[in-house]
Amino acid sequence: MNEGSLEGAVCEMHDGCLTCGDVAVELTVVAVDGADARCRADTGEEETVAVGLVGPVEPGARLLVHAGVAIERVGDR
Amino acid sequence: MKFVDEFRDAELARGVAARIAALADPDRHYKIMEVCGGHTHTIYRYGVHDHLPANVELVHGPGCPVCVIPMGRVDDGIAIAEREGVIFTCFGDMMRVPGGRGTLLEAKSRGADVRMVYSPLDALRLAREHPDREVVFFAIGFETTAPSTALTLQRAREERLTNFSVMCNHVTIIPAIKAILDSPDLRLDAFVGPGHVSTVIGCRPYEFIARDHHKPLVCAGFEPLDLLQAVQMIMEQLASGRAEVENQYSRVVRWDGNPMALAAMADTMTLRPHFEWRGLGFIPQSALRLSDRYADFDAEARFSTPGVRVADPKSCQCGEVLKGVLKPWECKVFGTACTPETPIGTCMVSSEGACAAAYNFGRLARERMPVPS
Repeated sequence: MNEGSLEGAVCEMHDGCLTCGDVAVELTVVAVDGADARCRADTGEEETVAVGLVGPVEPGARLLVHAGVAIERVGDR
Repeated sequence: MKFVDEFRDAELARGVAARIAALADPDRHYKIMEVCGGHTHTIYRYGVHDHLPANVELVHGPGCPVCVIPMGRVDDGIAIAEREGVIFTCFGDMMRVPGGRGTLLEAKSRGADVRMVYSPLDALRLAREHPDREVVFFAIGFETTAPSTALTLQRAREERLTNFSVMCNHVTIIPAIKAILDSPDLRLDAFVGPGHVSTVIGCRPYEFIARDHHKPLVCAGFEPLDLLQAVQMIMEQLASGRAEVENQYSRVVRWDGNPMALAAMADTMTLRPHFEWRGLGFIPQSALRLSDRYADFDAEARFSTPGVRVADPKSCQCGEVLKGVLKPWECKVFGTACTPETPIGTCMVSSEGACAAAYNFGRLARERMPVPS
């Protein structure tokens, strides 16, 4: 979140808009904390993700994440 | 990066492209619509067009949620944002979408407390941190994004936060596809289905397209090979006279979607009788409002808004672009009066908008219609 500046107000042209479009990122669960999980991208960045819509998760699980919320597990099928 | 590399393999792409070329009847012109802005972005970014025969055309549909927001809704958002004590939050692209009274970014420059958030949960955190302020989240997006808003509303209710509300502009994809199918302007052969919307709603809701309209639809992922394979699957169907719903993105999409996400949406939201889509007009039952159970969190009930319908600028042809009738570069103001820096129409705002994607990834030089001498 960026409160003061306008940085990020223009969509990043090379990666698409991760928030308002039909774009989601695949992340790996590092640690679970109640209804949230610490997740890591393949590029190393970490973020806290709400996992209430995908059922119980465990470290190592791959999740499809959109706007800070996991909307599906990846590769279960 | 192994997972991504597999879907960007040039040799594999050449093989799929050769198969598509072999399937294409040279005496026929194929029009395949992708209804997802993410797909539009991938097509332009990776030049997926370049791998297709000239008679297999990809047409861009109304799949960018920023692009379909009508100007009047932007004005309503600005009216709320300019109220004393309000912190107005929205996704980044939304800040630059022009309404009749300018953009949210311009409202911010005039003094309104407009803040960009990555997630509705960030807006909820702001509400916790500022109990003396009213925090409003401007919710947009298709069924990919609606579950995030739903989960946020459920948390707000659990925490009994009274200074948080949502201006709900979520839209649903099926009525938009129906409107396009009913449009007399356009002849389409097939659809590439939106991958992440389908993660939530599944593939089953598209079955009417194959059954009633006899057109194939293939749900696809967002890597270049995902899209090429989806086009191949469509061409296989068309070549054999089949019309079915198929799932190319099976590593993520389940046939019946994500039941937990659907349940959260059903708990917090309900269908509006009708909603205005930029370029498509009013479409019945095509958008969501907060359910009666969550009425206390409805920003439109909490704050008065103008609610005035605002006509698009006459020079802007977003409507035709959103329906796939015009290519972006066929719009009169594309790349001249309307650019990503000074957008007139919404399609030029988001990088997933067809016009911005065409502008930024340089396809206009190859595809622009010849200028009469």
